[in-house]
Formats: sequence, C-alpha cells, structure tokens
Amino acid sequence: MITLSSYLAISFALFVCGIAVMIARKNIIAILLGIELILNSAALNFAAYTRFVNHNLDGHIMSLFIIVIAAAEAAVGLAIVIRFFQIRESIHIDDATQLLQ
Amino acid sequence: MMNDNVVSFFSEAPPYQALNEKLTYLLNFDTRGMMAFVVYFVAAFVVVNVMALIGGLGTYAERKISADIQMRQGPNRVGPFGLLQFLADGVKMIMKEDILPKAADKYLFFIAPILCMVGVFATLAVLPFSSGFTLTHLNIGVFYVLGVSSLVGVGIFLGGYSSNSKWSMLGGMRGASQIISYEVPVTLSIIAMVMLGGGLNFQTIVDGQGGLPHQWFIFHNPFTIISFVVFFIGMLAETNRAPFDLPEAESELVSGYHTEFTGMRFAFFALAEYVEVFVVCGVAAALYLGGYQVPFGLSSLEFLHTKVGLPMAPARMIGQFLEIGGFVTKTVLLYYVVIWIRWTLPRLRVDQLMTLCWKYLTPIALFNLVGIAVWIYLFNGESMWNLVFKTGAAAAGHH
Amino acid sequence: MFDNFLFLSSAALTVCGALAVVLAPNLMHACTYLLTTLIGVSGLYVTLSADFLAATQLVVYVGGVVILMLFAIMLTGGNDNKSVNKFGIEKVAPMGNAKTFTLAGFSALIMALVILKIIANVNKATPKTELPPYETTVEKIGELLITDHVLAFEISSVLLLGALIGAALIARPRRREE
Repeated sequence: MITLSSYLAISFALFVCGIAVMIARKNIIAILLGIELILNSAALNFAAYTRFVNHNLDGHIMSLFIIVIAAAEAAVGLAIVIRFFQIRESIHIDDATQLLQ
Repeated sequence: MMNDNVVSFFSEAPPYQALNEKLTYLLNFDTRGMMAFVVYFVAAFVVVNVMALIGGLGTYAERKISADIQMRQGPNRVGPFGLLQFLADGVKMIMKEDILPKAADKYLFFIAPILCMVGVFATLAVLPFSSGFTLTHLNIGVFYVLGVSSLVGVGIFLGGYSSNSKWSMLGGMRGASQIISYEVPVTLSIIAMVMLGGGLNFQTIVDGQGGLPHQWFIFHNPFTIISFVVFFIGMLAETNRAPFDLPEAESELVSGYHTEFTGMRFAFFALAEYVEVFVVCGVAAALYLGGYQVPFGLSSLEFLHTKVGLPMAPARMIGQFLEIGGFVTKTVLLYYVVIWIRWTLPRLRVDQLMTLCWKYLTPIALFNLVGIAVWIYLFNGESMWNLVFKTGAAAAGHH
Repeated sequence: MFDNFLFLSSAALTVCGALAVVLAPNLMHACTYLLTTLIGVSGLYVTLSADFLAATQLVVYVGGVVILMLFAIMLTGGNDNKSVNKFGIEKVAPMGNAKTFTLAGFSALIMALVILKIIANVNKATPKTELPPYETTVEKIGELLITDHVLAFEISSVLLLGALIGAALIARPRRREE
C-alpha cells in the first residue's frame, strides 16, 4: 500500500485542488490558500522520492526550503493584501489593476 | 532504530516476554504488535485520565491558594478539605444548558474548544514523566511540543472569532497575537537548552543533567539562569496566565474568548488551560530542573538492585516511581509558583505586553543564545561549578 | 499494519481537506480545512520517515501561516461573499460562481491530464527495492545544512530577514497627513 505511486497520487490531488482554487476564487487570500496547497504537493513529492528512489536526504533539505519559502511568501503576501485593503477597501482580485496606488 | 518508550520498557521484563510467548502459542500468530498496541493504549488511557484529574485538581489548587493568599477559607464543603469541589463543578458544567449564540458560526464554534483540547493533550505523548513510563521518547520531542501546542492559538482565535461578540473577538485576537509573539523568546530559550543537552529528545536533555541542583541546566552557567527567567515569563504569557491574562481580562473583556461558551464547551477551554499550565511546567522542569533525575542515584538499578538487594522486577518499578515522584514534585512546585504569581501581580496593558516581548525578552533571549554557544565553545560545555572545583583543586595542588 | 493505518488516515485527511478547500463557500472554513490538509501532510511525512520535516511542517504552518491567514481574513472584512462591491458595481463573487468553477474545472482537468501523462511510467521506471528502516533524520539534516547546503541555508536566512522587514514595512498603517 505504501508505494511511490500512492504518494504521487496524493500530491497530484493536492496540486489539482490548488490549481482549481487559484482559478475559481476571486478573493486574494483564498488564492493564497491555493498556493499553499501547491507548495505542499511539491514538498511531499520531494520527500516521497527521497524515501523510495534515492536514499540521501537532499530531498528533505529541498522540502525544508520549500516550507521556509512558503512561510516568507505567506508573510509578505498577506502584508500586501492588508496594504491593498487599506487603499482599495476590497480584496477582490479584479480590483488589483494598478501597480501604483 | 526505535525510540525508547513505555512498550520497550515493559518488553524487557521476563513476565512480558513469557506472556507474549504464551499468546503467540495460543493464537498462532506473532502477538508482539498486538501486545505493544494494548500496552500503548492502556498507558495513553492512564496518562490522559490522570492529566484530566490533575487539570481538575488545578482548579481546586487555584481557588485554595488564592483563598490562602487573600486570607479566606476557599472551597471546603465537598469532600475532605473541599477536595471534591472540582467533581461538583464538573457535574454542574454538564447539567448547564448548552447555549449556541444565534449569530455564531456553528462549525467554528464547535471545533474551537476541540482544537484547544487536542493541542494540549497531544503534547502529553512526549512529556518525560520518567525514563521508562513516558509514552515515547520521540527524537524530535521538543520540536513536536512546540508544533502541536500552537494548535491552542488557533483554537483560541477561532473561539473568539466564531462567537460573533466584540468581547470574544478582542480576547481571541489578543490571545492569538500574544501566543505567536511569545513563541519567539520561548523558542530561543529552548534552543539554548537543546544546544546544551545535545539533542531534541527530552531523554537526551534530561540525561545530560544530574539529580542535584548544581548539575541542573538552570545553574549550568550564568546565561542559563537568565534563559530560565525568560522561558518562565514567556511560558506564563503563552498559557494566558496572569499577569499576562489579557485575553480573558475580566475587567475589560467580560471573560475574553470564552465569554459566549457555556457548559461542556467552556469546561473544555478551562481544562485545556489548566492541563497546559501543567505541561509547560513539566517542560520547564525537564529542560532546566533536571526532569526526572533523582538525587544521589537513588532510583538507579545499580543502587536498588545491587546495594539494597531488592529483586530485579520490583527494583525497576520502584526506580521508575521514584523518578515520577521527582518529576511531579518539581512540576507541582512550579505550578504553585505560577498560581502564586497570578494572585500577586497586577495585569499588564496590551502595549506593555508587546513591548516586554519584542523590546526586552527577544533581544535578551538572542543574546543568551550567543552567550551559551560561546560558553560551550570556550569551556567544552563544562558547568561553572565544575570549573570552580577544578581551579580550586588545581590551586590546592600547587600549594 | 500501524504504518498502513497512519498512511490511510493521513491521506484521507489530506485529500478530503484539499477538496473541502476547493468547495467551501466560506473563507474562514476553507482556512480550517487547509489546517486539516497541512496536518495530514505532516502525517504523510511521518510515514515517509521524515520526522524533522513533519515537525517543521507543524511548527511553521499550524503555528505561523494558518494563524497569519486567519488574522488577514479577519482584518480584511471576514468572509463576506457579496457579488456587489461598495460602489454598487457588479463583480464576480469573491468565493467564485458557477462560471469560474467551470473554468477552474477545465483548467484542472488539463493540468491533470498533463501530469498523469508525466507520472504514468513511474511504477515501471522506479526499481523495486527494499525500503530502508525508519530512522531519525535530525543529525543528518543538521550536517547537510551546514556542509553541502550551507549557501542555500544562508541565503534563506537573508530571505527570511527580508521578508520580515518587508512585511512589517508594507503592512504599517498609513500616515494621516500626507
């Protein structure tokens, strides 16, 4: 049961769900939720290949950096969202049409 | 390589192996997995129930000690010295009407107390009660505690948000921001202890210390004392205890994030809080105060079996119970200090709280981390007492 | 047997949580479903003998990212799902409508076909080897981080510092007198 393909299937499901969330939602925070799903699916793939194919731990390091970057991305992304809300009083993605305020 | 845990402790005993062989013979399959599962289940059941009992007794202790400090009697009607008061309270909680505010978010209102309970009770899996009777000596134990206990913050925030009341909302916001802010100095202090102990496993850290105070990590060097103070303050803030009980400040916010909760849901929040205080006191005891170590090696097999002459099996059990006694004594003393502080100090303001965390505790904790690293590098990890004894002995030798 | 149980329950948590994130009509609820997904992924890391990763996942996501997202949702007006904005202009509802979900379904389908094409041969291509036993990875990861991957480690610390300062600068409230 615990095989490489089952992990790939789970990570595939996560990725597709993430893509669907990113396209279906129009709320910026909801889109960030989708991005988290996609980053998690990538990190899961790295760990799965480390376990089943090559047994050195470089894949784990890669997943670790993905988690770190996800945290940084969430912090900066949400700061931008809050700033955007202060300026436009909306977090609808269609309102974000200008680079300058 | 498996971690040490309660199953590996029992499976070294001959009766366990005999029972295992007997069962394997009777049932015609390898019963080791099944036996391990049963032992785990029983141990987890015992730990969770005892901790729930301790949470209940915590409310009793809180009321009795506060009464003592304010020169009152405290609860004294139910049972001897009012000891069964918490059972009466529990029955009352169950009988109360379960009120769901009309504008509340039902789903979040339902899961918020459960998240708090799960976050606290999951940490019990690695709390080092003794060298044998711990559910598991996970090799990332300290890290695991940090991760799982942050579920409590999510629970508090959702509890405040879902009630749809301004008091709850402010309390939940304050609670969550306070917990994630104070996680920074607490984690930095813990990292220093991990460096001294040489591992993320609670067993490694506790085994690096000894039974007597001068062998504890708190008195290892001058920096660790500061580190303990920072950890203790941060710990008070993380469990929302006074003087940092801003999330439930009753003079400003009725009762904070659990204003709208009644009956068993409120009891879940209260129980989670009291058990969490016990857990963090236990973590402090394990990291700084020698954990389950007993002075003079009284609990070691070498002492009980060889010198006192007890048979092997009782000697092991008595040793374990002595270790549990050592751990619980230190933890309960810290618990007493926590309650004592609550009834002595006035509450801080919100801005003072954040100033204390970001302008004082975090830089101090960072400075400490560097200081302890330099100490380990310079003196090969020896404690200051060792250095004093050594120089003293050398000076005596020269003369 | 226990491995299989852990794997199945974590996989169920992960996939159900992800599906719920897609289908939830309420943003706050979607965030809690994301929490179940993240905890499920952490359980999957445990079954992959990646204990350090599992704990990191819990610390970073549960303690950091999810609380941050909950705060951001609350500070930006919660989970209103009105399709008319404050100037009375008709918009797509923030949590999506039938049209966006159809689009999302199509694009997800296309992505799914592409990925399935790529991973179709995985079972044949990977040799069947005996799985190594479960062991702790903490020491090895620590060594790798300060030997082979030290540059990436340092760069990520600079990145985190930049993110910290940047986030604090961007989210600071505006001056009134400008």
